[in-house]
Amino acid sequence: MLQGRTRLGNEGRKEGKKGDGETMSFKFSQIRTLETGYNSGPWNMALDEVLMNCINYPSMPILRIYGWQPPTVSIGYFQSLDEEVDIKRCRQMGIDVVRRITGGGAVLHESELTYSFVTKVYPKNIMESYNLICDAIVMCVNKLGFNAKFAPLNDIIVDGKKVSGNAQTRKKDTLLHHGTILLNVNLEKMFSVLKVPSEKVKDKMIDDAKERVRGLNKTFEQVAYNLKEAFSEKFGAKIIVDDLTNKEEESTKKLAKEKYSSDQWNRKK
Amino acid sequence: MKKAHNIYKSKKLIKVSLEYDEDSKIINSITITGDFFLYPEENLDKLEASLIGTKFGRDAIKQKIEKCLNSSEAFGFDSESMTDAILGCFKEEQD
Repeated sequence: MLQGRTRLGNEGRKEGKKGDGETMSFKFSQIRTLETGYNSGPWNMALDEVLMNCINYPSMPILRIYGWQPPTVSIGYFQSLDEEVDIKRCRQMGIDVVRRITGGGAVLHESELTYSFVTKVYPKNIMESYNLICDAIVMCVNKLGFNAKFAPLNDIIVDGKKVSGNAQTRKKDTLLHHGTILLNVNLEKMFSVLKVPSEKVKDKMIDDAKERVRGLNKTFEQVAYNLKEAFSEKFGAKIIVDDLTNKEEESTKKLAKEKYSSDQWNRKK
Repeated sequence: MKKAHNIYKSKKLIKVSLEYDEDSKIINSITITGDFFLYPEENLDKLEASLIGTKFGRDAIKQKIEKCLNSSEAFGFDSESMTDAILGCFKEEQD
């Protein structure tokens, strides 16, 4: 079902009818797929929001695959930047910080593949919508030779260890699901920029985390290929690789600068 | 006005910072943070706003949280654990 890079014409974007059989079974004819490369934290979070605002075609969700440059700590919507992150240390290490529009915990995005899935057709029940989309992530990880399982609410585990974390938000009638697949983990680096009660506790937290988290030790390209295959199979859809429109790019730059780089947003809590 | 802070481990972590009047035991300001999920997200702001002016006491606080959760879906905490997280700020008052 994988397709080459195709510029989408209007014909490829015909809407399905809400409530019809195809929609209710969460099958799509096509998935618009964006591989947006490595970008800054504010730009990455801005684009996820822009895609939520720009998606027009219920029958064609968007799958986005991306990375982070520079490495970035993202914090959950309900977290406090000053409580969770050692900002001074981040600056010294060249690590960016940004607040997400989704809940959950702080994450150091470095050696991982990040994805987002934006759709106007999804289960209204929150557990079911996590289950639906995380199933595609499980399929991806299994294609890479692992035996992955969904661990509700938002984790994918292999041999009891987390390999993927996920988060969702819903605005108007659109769902954004984004998450990470860990390629490698550097827990010492992660805990050096996250605030912990004391150095003594930090060592224990690192030891505990080593028991609970692992990377897949695969390349970005290997995971990206299998992620597209998995989404294609899960939703019975053709993968249509596309580029951002000029409008999407401009809106992202603006939102990255005005919202996701601002203290007003990042220090809301 | 007295400041208080509490960190409470539910399924997810809840951190509460608040200011309250020592005489009347009424909450003057409150911020709730953590790695939990709440849908819709804006309802946490509404909960914080509704807790301002509330007098320290399990029933009054829990009632406000339950009202919020009636129109929300929370993952990582429930009304009981959020109530405990807030009441933890008043530990001195309870001892």
